[in-house]
Amino acid sequence: MGQFVQFAINGLMAGAIYALIAVGIVSVYKATKVVNFAHGYLIMFGAYFYFTFAVIVPGQPWAPAWLASWQPGWMVEMRGELPMFSPVAAVLDWVANLPRILLGLFGALVCNAILGRIIERVLMRPLMGQSIFAMIMVTVGLISILSGAAQLIWTADAASVPYIAPNMPIRFELFGTMIFLFGTDLVNMAVALLLFGGIVAFVKFTKGGIAIRATAEDQSTAYSMGISVPKVFSRAWVLASTTGAIAGAILATRNGISPSLGLFGFSVLAIVLMGGLDSYVGVLIAAMVVGVLEAMTQWKMGGGWAEIVPYVTVLVVLVWRPHGLMGQKEVERI
Amino acid sequence: MINANLKSSYAADERVLNNRYKQAFVYATILGLALFTLFGNDYLILIASQMGILLIAVVGINILTGYTGLVSLGHGAFVAIGAYAVTIFGNLGAGVIPAGLMPFISVPLAVALAAAVGVLVGLPSLRVKGLYLAVATLAANFIVIFLIEEDLFAPWTGGMVGINTNVPNLLGWELDTKREMFGLIAVVGLVSLLAAQNLIRTRIGRAFIAIRDRDYSAEILGISLLRYKLMSFALSAAYCGLAGALFAYFYARILPEQFELALSLNLVAALIIGGMGRTMGPVFGVIIVVMVPEVIKVLFGALAGDSAGAGQLRAPLQQIAFGVLLVLFLLKEPLGINQIVDRILRAANRWPFARG
Repeated sequence: MGQFVQFAINGLMAGAIYALIAVGIVSVYKATKVVNFAHGYLIMFGAYFYFTFAVIVPGQPWAPAWLASWQPGWMVEMRGELPMFSPVAAVLDWVANLPRILLGLFGALVCNAILGRIIERVLMRPLMGQSIFAMIMVTVGLISILSGAAQLIWTADAASVPYIAPNMPIRFELFGTMIFLFGTDLVNMAVALLLFGGIVAFVKFTKGGIAIRATAEDQSTAYSMGISVPKVFSRAWVLASTTGAIAGAILATRNGISPSLGLFGFSVLAIVLMGGLDSYVGVLIAAMVVGVLEAMTQWKMGGGWAEIVPYVTVLVVLVWRPHGLMGQKEVERI
Repeated sequence: MINANLKSSYAADERVLNNRYKQAFVYATILGLALFTLFGNDYLILIASQMGILLIAVVGINILTGYTGLVSLGHGAFVAIGAYAVTIFGNLGAGVIPAGLMPFISVPLAVALAAAVGVLVGLPSLRVKGLYLAVATLAANFIVIFLIEEDLFAPWTGGMVGINTNVPNLLGWELDTKREMFGLIAVVGLVSLLAAQNLIRTRIGRAFIAIRDRDYSAEILGISLLRYKLMSFALSAAYCGLAGALFAYFYARILPEQFELALSLNLVAALIIGGMGRTMGPVFGVIIVVMVPEVIKVLFGALAGDSAGAGQLRAPLQQIAFGVLLVLFLLKEPLGINQIVDRILRAANRWPFARG
């Protein structure tokens, strides 16, 4: 039972990150009716930007020393008295890294937002009103461009990046077994869920969000009501690429940095379809379910089988409910 | 040039090659391929063989995507099934079936297996359309490659490290050089291209086109969507299985990673670049998709030499060029090279009068 809870918690933490990635795909779909097959590669760019600003830039000779590792006098004093592996030391490590973590996150957000805007302007806007097939295939072409560009810019060396939260181990007892977690995973999960909630609230309550929903309902009506549809499009892409940047930074700390981070996009795409393309709630449920199922598969059948869990579940769900768990059924007229 | 097609009987109108120019083109192609097989340079034979194998698969995708309008991003899986099935059957039946008869048994079995899996993957196509289908096929691709790599099946498939393939033996004639293999590929490729051209003029092909244009209308006209969508999936999977069988015979060793998503995307990209729903589309597309990386490789070799650093730059550049090509064609020429060729031929035809 304890083992079960341990794996379930791990699964929920993975599911929260899936949900954060999925929110980018859903937002773009809601506003523009484009399903972004290349979202995983946007995330990979976010991870690489985080790596650039959190590791490469502070490592340069011209960067101030406090950027790479912030060591004020009081911290050195505190550290001297601590035993090894104490939680306080983990927090102190994190504080020392804080300047470069903040720079990394800020840089990743800004650069990814610019990237998202460029993609929308150059590739997506000329395709407004074209067939769905053409738009899907443009994002497929984008996969090659982005993954090639990443390998060209950052030569494929894997490197470690600083955790975005204090990484202390947390242990507690539940149903007679020890549950073992890392602090950073909990913070990642909280960040992912907060962002997810924030975006849902933004789409639901703010003026900009209502414009997005109106555009999703009917583009030409939205136009005639005075909503600038192109602006909505670029806003949606920026939203997707900035959430992607955060997700990328989190994934970079969890899985390391490599061009294969882009593959996450495909399993998340499966999750999005499972939940229903235009339903935030459905996607959240699907992400959590897949996260837990993956963890259970890893527990019972080994790590290899876990990687096909999203694909198998999406096939099952699609045959059972063609528009996902909570997706809106399209009404087709002849 | 063609200014009119005079047909004095229905039989003449219903022929596969319904005018003299098409016939002349096919005969010239046969002659050209025969000469090329005999006298072509070794490097060009290698490139042409790659094109031929890819062409058969793309013709299959054309039936599904170009004619029936169902998007698939997972056809690399069927190529994998064809390649692995022909190798595994070859190994299992090594002592039982005479070597000279082996390809005549294992290739049809592999093609049939690919078609059967195609029907299975096509089942969601009855309920989901467009994008949902694209993701469903994508999922199927990941699952098939995963199963091939899985340790459980490693005794047959070789797992992650791949498996050595057999040399085809056609009634005692061992095709152990690339040139002989190219002869086989050229024959099979040409026949499958003509078979596809034949397919679209039959009842089945016209049903496919009706489904592409509007599936509900087609159903109202009495076309069974269940039957024809699954048939389209089976046919395209069978073509891909055939391509896979030739792939296995052509290379000395096959690895699961050769059939991953990249191959599936390559196949669809070739179709889009060449032109969907046209017989010659796959031909043009495959030429571009195979030539562009080769040209980049040759140019890079000339500019930077064969140093390790240059090699590190080359692969990403090939990838970027591929993506840019796909995006450019979608934005600027969605009907592909076939459309450009049509335009040139039309202009030549009307010269010196108005172009257009």
